[in-house]
Amino acid sequence: MYAYDKYDHALVNSRVAEFRDQVERRVKGELTEEEFRPLRLMNGLYLQLHAYMLRVAVPYGTLSADQMRTLAHIARKYDKGYGHFTTRQNIQYNWPKLSDTPDILQELADVEMHAIQTSGNCIRNVTTDQFAGATADEIADPRPYAELIRQWSSFHPEFSFLPRKFKIAITGADIDRAAVKWHDIGLVVKKNDAGEVGFEVLVGGGMGRTPVIAKTIRDFLPEKDLLSYLEAILRVYNEQGRRDNKYKARIKILVDALGADEYARQTEEEWQKIKDLPIDFPAEEAARIKAFFAPPPLQVLEDNVPAVDELAKKNFIFGAWLKNNTNQHKVPGHVNVTISLKPHGGIPGDATAEQMELVAALADEYSQGELRISHEQNLILPHVAKKDLPAIWTDLDEAGLGIPNAGLLTDMIACPGLDYCSLANARSIPLAQELGKRFDDFKRLQDIGPLKIKISGCINSCGHHHAGHIGILGVDRKGEENYQLLLGGSGAEDASKAAILGPGFDENGVIDAIEKVVAVYLGERTDGEEFLATYRRVGPDVFKEAVYGTR
Amino acid sequence: MALVNLTGIQAGDFTVLAEDQTPAEGATVAVPLSRLRDEGDDFFKVAGPVGAVLATDTNYTDLAPLMNKLAFVVIDFPAFGDGRGFSLAVRLRKDLGFKGEIRATGPVIPDQALFLLRAGFDTVEVSDAREAAFKAALKRFDTFYQTDYTGQVSLAHARHGKNQERKAS
Repeated sequence: MYAYDKYDHALVNSRVAEFRDQVERRVKGELTEEEFRPLRLMNGLYLQLHAYMLRVAVPYGTLSADQMRTLAHIARKYDKGYGHFTTRQNIQYNWPKLSDTPDILQELADVEMHAIQTSGNCIRNVTTDQFAGATADEIADPRPYAELIRQWSSFHPEFSFLPRKFKIAITGADIDRAAVKWHDIGLVVKKNDAGEVGFEVLVGGGMGRTPVIAKTIRDFLPEKDLLSYLEAILRVYNEQGRRDNKYKARIKILVDALGADEYARQTEEEWQKIKDLPIDFPAEEAARIKAFFAPPPLQVLEDNVPAVDELAKKNFIFGAWLKNNTNQHKVPGHVNVTISLKPHGGIPGDATAEQMELVAALADEYSQGELRISHEQNLILPHVAKKDLPAIWTDLDEAGLGIPNAGLLTDMIACPGLDYCSLANARSIPLAQELGKRFDDFKRLQDIGPLKIKISGCINSCGHHHAGHIGILGVDRKGEENYQLLLGGSGAEDASKAAILGPGFDENGVIDAIEKVVAVYLGERTDGEEFLATYRRVGPDVFKEAVYGTR
Repeated sequence: MALVNLTGIQAGDFTVLAEDQTPAEGATVAVPLSRLRDEGDDFFKVAGPVGAVLATDTNYTDLAPLMNKLAFVVIDFPAFGDGRGFSLAVRLRKDLGFKGEIRATGPVIPDQALFLLRAGFDTVEVSDAREAAFKAALKRFDTFYQTDYTGQVSLAHARHGKNQERKAS
């Protein structure tokens, strides 16, 4: 993991001091709410329906056990004993008091954390694969690049007041778990024929009311040119991105207006002017940062562990957990464990302080003191020896965290919705809870297989419904909450936009409709065919007919 | 209004020329770009030092023909969040090689003081009430992650004692 040096510490501490001063001025009435708003937003502090919400950055989803314990402590001391892990690998606290927020930021700074780049029209926290540096299917660990981008983009003098927020995602694996094609900039780590590391660069992806899949503007960008090329992309966007309408201000609209080829041309033209300036990190700095992410010294172990297989045979839930919630590690005999934060009937992504502390203890004992957060709102123990799985699962299960549903229908993404958010049109959480209860049968879920449901409470798409195999969009229809059903989206390397199936439903109606969609899939699928593949093969009509009847 | 001097430059003392107003002989005047582009050599002969008042949506390439005639530039922010003003200042320094004073006017906020400095601005016109906050904000940080176009080299370079180097290709 990256460790701060004196400079990083100085920057974050200066930021806390600055914010403490701003909060004091606000509390004394020297700043109006209107004047305070941009300042608090630069520090992750939002005003929601009922209270302030503080969004804390977990850069590229990697954190230590000690940092997780601080997150638990903050939940207990300053909030209501829980936190909410988000689709951007961050954590949100829903009930902090304004006057406490400088103290919270100081406690975070003390463990090398902050709330910078979690709001405002700046370059936001870079996100990546939750299994980065640990998964068997990886070309190179993307986190050193994420850290280099984090530093370059923090307090950027030119790009801190962009037309709109700006999100960069990077993956180092062929299987895209970071949804890079749905980001303003997507980076895919590649190696060229000479074995050198570089990046495929995509621009203009995004969700919201205009879903767009990013387009490639460069097939291979050498590692050493990363930051100057990003600067060129950002300068074109900062100058030409629309500022007259916030719904048309994202880079996807500009890329669409100019065309990807023209965007690439302008980027290239600007980049040629700056690529030899000392904008990019020198090789020594890349080496310094990479050293922090050196693979842990794991022993090669047997992949075959009889005790694990025996328990899997005896205990169906453990067997399902072993199958669904583990990912093959680079080092034989090891896996990466997904701890599902999607208990049936629970709130997707929420964890209590006690759960966070348990996970931190497990990380200390079994995963090199390291943890990850996935964009699918789950927690990860990386680098786990397979032989330790029974002990880990037993501890998790006692805390309600042994749910074997990673990647299955009930492993839903859901935005906070109308329960918290001032933008929402409909509630997302109760719908996710009811869906979990309706499908509360692990044998049935296992039979249905991989299926991603994503729920947004409004068109801003924080719940990623455009990228759901099944997407649900909450809308307001004449004062009533109404849910539209979408099918066929993907956030992975085969990214696709989900399409609306037909008229919307009330909460129960949409759950009934999902039952019908699943029944069609089970009837239509060929051997081993997953939901998305069946949908793509048979098309929407047969699903439409089952849900709405023949007209 | 107060003027916060970010760089210690000799700040210009000028009047903004009203529409159709003729400059007094030798007067330091700031003129909207739209008018300046139509003025002939006579205008520049009569006036003293001339500056251009730019909207944030100005395309920097339109300024190229005026570069050897302008003593200073004023970038007028319509809102603090209009970040085009920062790129415009960068363009003036980086692409046009402008060495004169760049001033920010409009509702910029104290927390932008260092961003303005690092983007290439020399001076900021602020309300009297905000002068102290602006000056305090200038001292808030002394470490910078990015190379900019005012001579600051990134921390990534400074960490390794590389303060002026061009990139190895």
